[in-house]
Amino acid sequence: MAGEFQQQALALAAQQTVTPWLSDLRAQGSLSWQAHAWPTRKTEAWRYTSLLPVENEQWQLCDIAASNTLSDETLAEFIELDAYRLVFVNGRLNSELSSALPAEMVTFADANAAQQVLIKQHLGQIADQQTHLFAALNSSWLHEGVLLHVAANQRLDKPVYVVHVNDQGDAKAVNARVLVVLETGAEATLLEHYFSTSTVDRGWTNALTECVVGANASLKHYRINLESEQALHTGGVHVRLNQDARFNGFTLANGSRLKRIDYHLKHLGSGSDVQLNGIYLPRKQQRVDYHTCVEHCVPHCTTNETFRGVIADSAKAVFNGRIHIHQDAQKTLAEMSNRNLLTSDQAQVNTKPELEIYADDVRCAHGATVSQLNDEALFYLTSRGVSEAEARVMLSFGFVNELVEGVELDVLRHWLRPRIAHMFGQNDQLTRHIIHE
Amino acid sequence: MLEWRLKAYRIWQTMEEPDWAHVHYPEIDFQAVSYYSAPKSLEDRPKSLDEVDPDLIETYNKLGIPLHEQEMLAGVAVDAVFDSVSVVTTFREKLEEAGVIFCPISEAVHRFPDLVKKYIGSVVPQRDNYYAALNSAVFSDGSFVYIPKGVRCPMELSTYFRINQMNTGQFERTLIIADEGSHVSYLEGCTAPQRDENQLHAAVVELIALDNAEIKYSTVQNWYPGDENGKGGIYNFVTKRGICHTRAKISWTQVETGSAVTWKYPSCILKGDHSVGEFYSVALTNNYQQADTGTKMIHLGKNTKSTIISKGISAGHSQNAYRGLVRMGSSAAGARNYTQCDSLLIGDRCGAHTFPYIESAHPSAIVEHEATTSKVSDDQMFLCQQRGLDAEKAVSMIVNGFCREVFKQLPMEFAVEAGKLLEVSLEGSVG
Repeated sequence: MAGEFQQQALALAAQQTVTPWLSDLRAQGSLSWQAHAWPTRKTEAWRYTSLLPVENEQWQLCDIAASNTLSDETLAEFIELDAYRLVFVNGRLNSELSSALPAEMVTFADANAAQQVLIKQHLGQIADQQTHLFAALNSSWLHEGVLLHVAANQRLDKPVYVVHVNDQGDAKAVNARVLVVLETGAEATLLEHYFSTSTVDRGWTNALTECVVGANASLKHYRINLESEQALHTGGVHVRLNQDARFNGFTLANGSRLKRIDYHLKHLGSGSDVQLNGIYLPRKQQRVDYHTCVEHCVPHCTTNETFRGVIADSAKAVFNGRIHIHQDAQKTLAEMSNRNLLTSDQAQVNTKPELEIYADDVRCAHGATVSQLNDEALFYLTSRGVSEAEARVMLSFGFVNELVEGVELDVLRHWLRPRIAHMFGQNDQLTRHIIHE
Repeated sequence: MLEWRLKAYRIWQTMEEPDWAHVHYPEIDFQAVSYYSAPKSLEDRPKSLDEVDPDLIETYNKLGIPLHEQEMLAGVAVDAVFDSVSVVTTFREKLEEAGVIFCPISEAVHRFPDLVKKYIGSVVPQRDNYYAALNSAVFSDGSFVYIPKGVRCPMELSTYFRINQMNTGQFERTLIIADEGSHVSYLEGCTAPQRDENQLHAAVVELIALDNAEIKYSTVQNWYPGDENGKGGIYNFVTKRGICHTRAKISWTQVETGSAVTWKYPSCILKGDHSVGEFYSVALTNNYQQADTGTKMIHLGKNTKSTIISKGISAGHSQNAYRGLVRMGSSAAGARNYTQCDSLLIGDRCGAHTFPYIESAHPSAIVEHEATTSKVSDDQMFLCQQRGLDAEKAVSMIVNGFCREVFKQLPMEFAVEAGKLLEVSLEGSVG
């Protein structure tokens, strides 16, 4: 059954065309994908998330020719950001919707000789394809991608906004790939936005982002996952940090039939810093699964990771956070916190904050909580004349508000507030106090 | 009984050795292990305490488990299991007056077949896991305790295990049944002398606390941990689990200092409403010891509560992992869990790991988990040394303070001994 599925995926890889200089990487990806034992419920990394939704489908690749004009409704979902915008529709770059690219950016297909060398040097090297199943598949399916390369001590004047939107129907698979290389002292902001229009029912996006943050460089990374309920998403963000590098990450996801997002960050130079915040908001029958891993390979690095989840209806959330301190990574400061709010009787959460520590002079702490809305807080609000339904929305929003407020990109923060509020209460009456700050 | 064991053996043959724990050890040749070893032939089994090998009495004394009648004041009834056979059980008559049954399980099988049949395997079934299946197939002795309704056991009960023979596996089975409204406190001590070869210890402990009963189970484990180079030592693969009925309480307290590899998760199934589970643990590893230990709290009943306090101390080249599961079932309304696991690192070649699993399927269940990892702070060391303590004493004092929350759960004599054990185990880890 599973082996069959792996073969089926490989057959799809053969249908993709790619520039010849990337075919080695694709072949490698295919090999790793084949070599993977297919995960079962006994595989630790997939203990709580079933891959059946992806296995039980006969996948087709998205048709390139079809529908490149998006409806007004879809366009309205774009974040109005003064940025270099790249719009991928069904996995292909749509040049009409995208802005002119700066010199720092290029698609793999248009890369010049020097950029090709750079891509070959890093692509597929940052994400470990032996351990990350869908990273291997992403390389195997590679047909299009984008490189963001900022030269030493340069600062990209505007954020980069990469939109992945799908509007094709049943059982269409899409591959997305981004490579970020920041040289010494460079600075950039990247916003990745995944969504699907309501017409898309059962598509599957397999996305992979690889980042190299050079010495003293700084990357701000936002990843917004708001696909339709039936869409599948398997994604990964893999980052390498050199000396004194900074990574500031924010991620938001709703749930769907299958949504699995892996963050894997490696401190490879001393003094590097990771700030990672995440929010997951599954509802109805949705599933969401975040796996994060931060590896401290060298001394004097810091990590601060906070994930909050509000799980409603019969939804199910999984959080697996792991901090791995290697031997000799002394003077590490690492903190991880995961808090969950269950707002219904059927909601479920499985959380596993792990610490694996091989050095002694470190300060590490992690905390995890699971609870429901505080009765006293509810009582307080209702005693002030707020209806119970509205109070619930306010308290749910308050649970994640701290992280939303932490988003530095103003436009994004203002864009997020009403959307998150609407996930808790569709009715404007319920969200009026939240949206009008 | 034979059939029950054969069934377990067949199950065991179909199972694979688990490899998910955070420990490494060479493969065990299960054919090379002796499954039964009697300390002396049954005829000249010691008739009274005076005939017991003075060396063994000595080890008892060192551990603070008074076996001699003169120490009757301490009021502890002891069942001593050497290798595979229960050697001596003290205070039998006095306990029987109170209606308490405390005897080797080999005897219980003959004398109380109904009780044994009803409860054995009810908490840890044969196919529970690899080592539990092995134990079910080959166990030769262990302790059996039954506390009748409403009885408060008049003294602490204690079992003492020792593996003497080389290359022997010890597979004891303990079954404790606390009937409605009863109370019992049970101590378990383990040691083994120094051997080059690795020995195997795969025990199963089953606790049954019926309505309103309370069981307190304390363990001080001092198996031979292997030498400085990690040679020899005990492989300790133990399954311990208790089931709590309505308003019952099970409390596990453990101090782990021995064994080369530990794989042990004393667990509570909180089946009845308002039942309580507690787990207090100190696990100390030094040299090349490896420990993967923790607990499982399975909340099924309403308003069930559990507390987990785990303190891990790693020194030398050792690896110490906490692995715990807190599961709130979909019927566990109002359930509450608090978990705290702290790790202390001594030396820069050791590891401390935490793998907590939290599964919550009820919104009114509240789960809290906290963990910290740090080393013995230089400031604390400086303060102690400046007051005239040498480095080793200072560390031992700081470690004792770190473990205080757990030690105060132990019965008095044990708490003092546990402190000393830590001191001995930490020897040579500083400076």
